[in-house]
Amino acid sequence: MNNAYLSYAAKRLAQALVVILLAYVFTFVVVSILPGDPITNVLRDPQNGFTEDEIRQIIAAQGLDQPIPIQLWTSLSHFVTGDFGLSMRSNRPVTTLIAEVLPSTMILASAGFAVALLLAVTIAYGTQFVPKRFGQGLLRGFPSLFLSVPNFVIGLVLIHTFGFQLGLFRVIDPNSFWATFFAAIALGIPISAQIAEVLIANLDHESAQEYAAVARGRGLGQARLFAKHLLKPSSLPVITIVALTIGELLGGSLITETVFGRTGIGSLVQRSVSTQDLPVLQAVVSLAAVVFVLVNLIADLVYPLLDPRVKLIGGVKHRPTTAQDSSAGATQAAAS
Amino acid sequence: MTARFSSLLLSRRRLLAATSVAAAIALTAVTGLSSARSAGAAPNGGNITFLIDSLGGTWIPNNSSISSFQGHIWGHVTDKLVYVDADGKVSPWIAESWEQSSDATQFTLHLKKGVTFSDGTPLDAAAVVANLDIWYAGRKNEGINPVGLFPKTYDRAEAVDATTVKVVFKAPTLGFIPTLGYHGSILISPKSIAQPAAQQADLSKTSGSGPYVVASWKEGDFVKLVKRKDYNWGPAAVGHTGPAYLDSITYKIVSEPSLRVAAVQSGQADVAYSPSPQELKSLKDAGFTTATPRYLGFVNGLAVNTKLEPYNDVKVRQALQAAINRKEIIDTVYTPDWKLATSFIQSNVPGATDHSDLLAYNPARAEKLLDEAGWTKGTGGIRAKDGKQLTLTLYSNPYLATAKAIDELIAQQLGKIGWKVTIRAYDVVTFGEKVRFGGPGVAAYEVTRSFIDAGTVASILTNANNGEDWFALGDSDKKLNDLRDRIAGASSAEIRNPLLDELQTYVLEQGYFIPRTQIVQRIYVQSPKLKGEVYNGVAYASYYTATISE
Repeated sequence: MNNAYLSYAAKRLAQALVVILLAYVFTFVVVSILPGDPITNVLRDPQNGFTEDEIRQIIAAQGLDQPIPIQLWTSLSHFVTGDFGLSMRSNRPVTTLIAEVLPSTMILASAGFAVALLLAVTIAYGTQFVPKRFGQGLLRGFPSLFLSVPNFVIGLVLIHTFGFQLGLFRVIDPNSFWATFFAAIALGIPISAQIAEVLIANLDHESAQEYAAVARGRGLGQARLFAKHLLKPSSLPVITIVALTIGELLGGSLITETVFGRTGIGSLVQRSVSTQDLPVLQAVVSLAAVVFVLVNLIADLVYPLLDPRVKLIGGVKHRPTTAQDSSAGATQAAAS
Repeated sequence: MTARFSSLLLSRRRLLAATSVAAAIALTAVTGLSSARSAGAAPNGGNITFLIDSLGGTWIPNNSSISSFQGHIWGHVTDKLVYVDADGKVSPWIAESWEQSSDATQFTLHLKKGVTFSDGTPLDAAAVVANLDIWYAGRKNEGINPVGLFPKTYDRAEAVDATTVKVVFKAPTLGFIPTLGYHGSILISPKSIAQPAAQQADLSKTSGSGPYVVASWKEGDFVKLVKRKDYNWGPAAVGHTGPAYLDSITYKIVSEPSLRVAAVQSGQADVAYSPSPQELKSLKDAGFTTATPRYLGFVNGLAVNTKLEPYNDVKVRQALQAAINRKEIIDTVYTPDWKLATSFIQSNVPGATDHSDLLAYNPARAEKLLDEAGWTKGTGGIRAKDGKQLTLTLYSNPYLATAKAIDELIAQQLGKIGWKVTIRAYDVVTFGEKVRFGGPGVAAYEVTRSFIDAGTVASILTNANNGEDWFALGDSDKKLNDLRDRIAGASSAEIRNPLLDELQTYVLEQGYFIPRTQIVQRIYVQSPKLKGEVYNGVAYASYYTATISE
């Protein structure tokens, strides 16, 4: 680990913190300027029968009568100390709400990710070694097919087939093994598509390289060639895609959780959006930003370690386009 | 986007129908066998699962009282002072008897002895006073709201002795006793009431005196209730006062309506709440129990803004009243479980009278009225007056799944006689902002509302006592004001009922309120194994008296 790497890492860390802070402020401003005030909306429901004076008192008790910059400042200073306040909707501490739902989403997201990775590698393997006449073209079509079917449709089909018809799991018990398994499939399928696309493209590129031809010429078996020689170089760009799919994973779990009746971050977001529950949204967006930034940070920090050809210039990483002209990448970076 | 989504849903429904028929056949075969076997078994025990679309916002008892969802849980966890059945009949519960002064300003409640909350606190006069006080005032600076429907005329309550409470009002409040049976008036342990809002919002920290207690819960997920073995103070009106029969009731959120129904069909759950009305017939045919209880309250209809042209003209409003074919709405959008409106309040409300004659479909009369009002048919069959077209914008109620379908039908019906109708559909927040309270530019606002006592109706219609002034009349209609004051001041039902009848005739004749159908907001699909549930005056199912066969 040299100085260039450390200064690169420090800069990336600082960037990450700024992104999280900006995400927080942005959410606050967006939700605050959205038309429609859910709190007064509920209070003004004639069935509640509140007088204007009572409504004012309740609003003041929540500190919602303050100007937006002051509300933002208060909220931000609490955020820095890890205090997200009370949910406007349920009056319960936001940290409690999140702690209740986080484990379930973590399990679903990691299972969904595992499914996505497994599917992607299987499909990519197939596209290299299944002969054309046995449906290689079909396999190459899978990623676009997976991307075009909405995951709630996949979810509903799985529930009706395996839940109701075959009785493998019960919708009223969505955290059971099989229910989680099928939810992970519904979540993993669209995500596998993006990983598979990149993997296939890279495998195509690598297997056209000389070394692959040499290996093949020496009579290396297909599976060994794939695992020992092709997979590693083809996987590097996949790390970037994987980091990006974290966002997809969070978004996809929202829908999957709703369809499968799982309680998680997704269903919490859904409820909070529909009631514009600012403190909860604030916390969830910040959390998502932290996860997203962290994963990308790790990807960026790991990348140069895995691929020594990556040059760290001025705290920015540059991956050469091919092994042959790494100097071109450096020249380009120096020019920019 | 919406169109694509709904076509997806449609085809999904068809798919579902096919699978459900198969499941239903299998299920009926199985239950047919087992019910014969278990006949004569003791009705005790069993666990049920109730699938619901949401469990509402907060569990602070006062704040959550208006939501249509938490009422299911509170109905099992808490008791009320009086019981109000589906016909609006008031009977004793925790209050064994009561007296009221001749001017309906003072009430004395006599409480049942030996009742306790699940935290061990006795439900005595002091506890009732603590509840009445917080229902009236809340603790606003702490974020605990008053119970909105509680009479604003409340002055004070005092404990005369351990089982006697005296309640004093500043003005006659004939509706006080029935209001005690409303879903907001739930008795909570004084210890729970004393907690700050954040504690009260944790359902497991709130104790009631009901037949069930909260065993566990998770927000947005489920609530599991288990029975209280020492419970012995149920309302006599339901024919049972001892402990409940079922051991546990689990409320589980499943937000997809088709999954809720399919889960009951496949035997994975016992009750599905809020299926689509169109599914009911096939479910019933397949042997499932369906229930469409009506609540006490206003019917589903339009409150007309009399300030806006052309609805400031009584003839136009009367034409609107006559131009809607209410029978067709029930035949097309609903099933025979829905009832025709006979007034602007539901027909099961005590004091509601039949005014079907005023709500008869009569397009010829409507056309004649519009001709008389100067709205004549012009190009494209649309009526116009002084170069302006006869228009109406309907804002579909986002709380009622069928609202848009009804609006589309009404648009057709009105279109036939030359009305130009546009339909707008907003989400809940926007609807509240633009339509419900937005007000002045909205010619007709769709209303659905439950209440227990018809005495409150008159003040809602006008602006008296912070009333809601539904028709934007302010204080301008002398006859309406007079009826309102006499109804509010009435000290007995005998005096009040003829006045209520007069009010209903007047409001419908004037075309202030345009009823559509009687409202069913809570729909239940239930396994045939589960029997004996009771629906109260606000249409919540209580499983206190229910049993399940194996």
